[in-house]
Amino acid sequence: MTRLGLYLLRRTAAGLGTLVAMVTITFLMYWALSPQPGRFVYPEGIKITKFQLQDGAHRLGADRPKLTQYADWWWHLAHGSFGHQWTGAVLNDNKLTTTPIGPVLYPALRETLSILLGGAVLVLILALPLGAIAGRRIGSLSDRTISLVALVGVCTHPIVVGTLLDKLFSVHLHWTPYGGYCTFVKHAGSTGLPFTPCGGPVDWFTHLILPWITFALLFLALYTRMIRASVADTIHEDYVRTARAKGGSELRVMTRHVLPNAGLRVLTMVGMDIGTALGVAIFVEGAFGMFGLARLSVYAMVGNESISALDLPLLLAVVTVITAIVVIGNLVVDLLYAVVDPRTGISYRPGRTKQIAAGVM
Amino acid sequence: MATLVRQPAELPDRAAPRVRKPWQLTVARFLHDRWSVAALALFLLVLVASFAGGAILGAIVGHNGDTPFPYGVDDTLAPVGFWSHVPDTLVSNINSYGQTLPPPKNTPTTLFIAGADGPLGRDELIRVLDGGRASIEIGVGAVIISALIAIPLGCLAGFFGGFVDAIVSRLTETIMAFPLIFFLVFATVRLSPTLRPIGWGTYLPKGVVAVALMIGVFTSFYPLRLIRAQLFGLRNAEFVQSSHMVGASSLRIIRKDLFPHLVPTLLVWGAIAVATDILLEVGLSVIGVGVQAGTPTWGSLLATTTGTIYTSGLPQTGHYTIWQTLLPTFGILIAVIALNQVSEGTRRALEPWARR
Repeated sequence: MTRLGLYLLRRTAAGLGTLVAMVTITFLMYWALSPQPGRFVYPEGIKITKFQLQDGAHRLGADRPKLTQYADWWWHLAHGSFGHQWTGAVLNDNKLTTTPIGPVLYPALRETLSILLGGAVLVLILALPLGAIAGRRIGSLSDRTISLVALVGVCTHPIVVGTLLDKLFSVHLHWTPYGGYCTFVKHAGSTGLPFTPCGGPVDWFTHLILPWITFALLFLALYTRMIRASVADTIHEDYVRTARAKGGSELRVMTRHVLPNAGLRVLTMVGMDIGTALGVAIFVEGAFGMFGLARLSVYAMVGNESISALDLPLLLAVVTVITAIVVIGNLVVDLLYAVVDPRTGISYRPGRTKQIAAGVM
Repeated sequence: MATLVRQPAELPDRAAPRVRKPWQLTVARFLHDRWSVAALALFLLVLVASFAGGAILGAIVGHNGDTPFPYGVDDTLAPVGFWSHVPDTLVSNINSYGQTLPPPKNTPTTLFIAGADGPLGRDELIRVLDGGRASIEIGVGAVIISALIAIPLGCLAGFFGGFVDAIVSRLTETIMAFPLIFFLVFATVRLSPTLRPIGWGTYLPKGVVAVALMIGVFTSFYPLRLIRAQLFGLRNAEFVQSSHMVGASSLRIIRKDLFPHLVPTLLVWGAIAVATDILLEVGLSVIGVGVQAGTPTWGSLLATTTGTIYTSGLPQTGHYTIWQTLLPTFGILIAVIALNQVSEGTRRALEPWARR
């Protein structure tokens, strides 16, 4: 247990290091881009004067020493707050009102995590049986069919899959609600896209089922392929034959003796795909009119086109949350890995199909 | 003393048994695999269709993909459907009340095979064919750029190891853990004002170079790691040691002894990476930071129907036909699946001993 504790401590330290590095790089890059934060206070486009730029920056606190601002960010974060964003700053009666980032970020985070976690569960539910069926007899008709469908799934961009599914099931068949997101817990302020009050587990599920399918279709190919390879590897092992000889049913042989071998590989792949999944979430959210963390991040990175300026606090918040998701996700995977397989250090190199997904993310 | 060494006897003049060189064997193995040959033929077909198809089809039907036909859309701006004959005129017949009337009686018609596009009324099929050109240019260009970055860096890291390798590996590991598309979006938005004007006529539309460069730079981590891993296994091999022993420089060893071993890896990676980069271009267009609006690529054609992530989620009005979603998707699907199979076939032909 001490060894595990030490391992955990080391990984946490490494994760914190990554977080510090990402925030620092973002901060430095922002100031290297010769930004004009004053434009957020005076969003009149190109007619902004030099005085307005200076005054705006002063009101936002962007003219303080860089080190103070940098320390300020960590100070806020240590208190569990992301500070105030610059976008939407309103100057009224010589008083500047800015909106805090938290109320924007947390609902977005909730949407994206709902998509990612539900989608991951769907991928595993579908990939295990499909991979097992395909891997039992490589080259059979069922194997070829599954492989072909998986290939088509990974080669079609999620935005296309999402749009087509949405058109078919929401617009034409009316089986699912049209776009938007509903919270899992019903409360007064929760609304869906058509601005009707919604909430509760049932609404949450019906709004998310199509995004989950869209998300799963892409990753299904990768995981099916990998489980197929693992099953094909182990199906001829002696202990599988022994299990069969002892009279174990086919289902029991598969679930107890063959599939557990794929477990470690699945775990490794999940760890590597957390980043990819966040990238895919951009398109899933886009296709279904949801506004989650992935889309918020793209907005923060593209910046406000009309005034051509980047919102530093929002950018830092988004970078922090994405880094935290990647780091914590990998930490959990590593931890599970260390618990499941004490011989840590075994790594599985994913096949080439991983690269196609890299194209989408 | 006269030499007693016997001169080698003249070889008999009959043809020596035909010895095939390794690359000939590889090509023969590839040609033997009918699925891979079919996939290669399919990809060449896509290549010809996208580079010449638009011009040929344009010559047959008599219009190109950039001309807006006012009668290609109806009063609600919904485009005409599959196999429509559209009045061949570029001006609408508008009466003094601003209403659009049918064209004059004897106006000739022109054929729109897959209907028209969006609110402008351009020929969708020709645009998809032209779009394939830009998409494939981006895919191939990005692969060349990432190879140019990855080969020197990978050789440096893989051959010398140590300090350089530690930096390169940590950097690639960290960056690969994060969603690539966020870096790509950030860099593309910042740099596109500088890079976008690069272009050359219709055959290299403006913006293609910028997008290819960005994708190429940010996907160079994959080949970098592949090359590094391969060289790690080879740098202490006997043929490298013997080269060292006879005094070959490091550069010469990398160039003459090690690089040939990288070619198979790079070929297999290259085929699949073109497919990857075509899909990445779609993603960038959908986010709205791809090639300049108006230039057809498969990504930008799709983005007009699915909407960019800034506009989607709102009810789309009936300005689009289903063909505008399906045709670019089929184009991508055919190209990507063909390249996937070509890559698979190349790998099998190069390493016949490897497990399938």
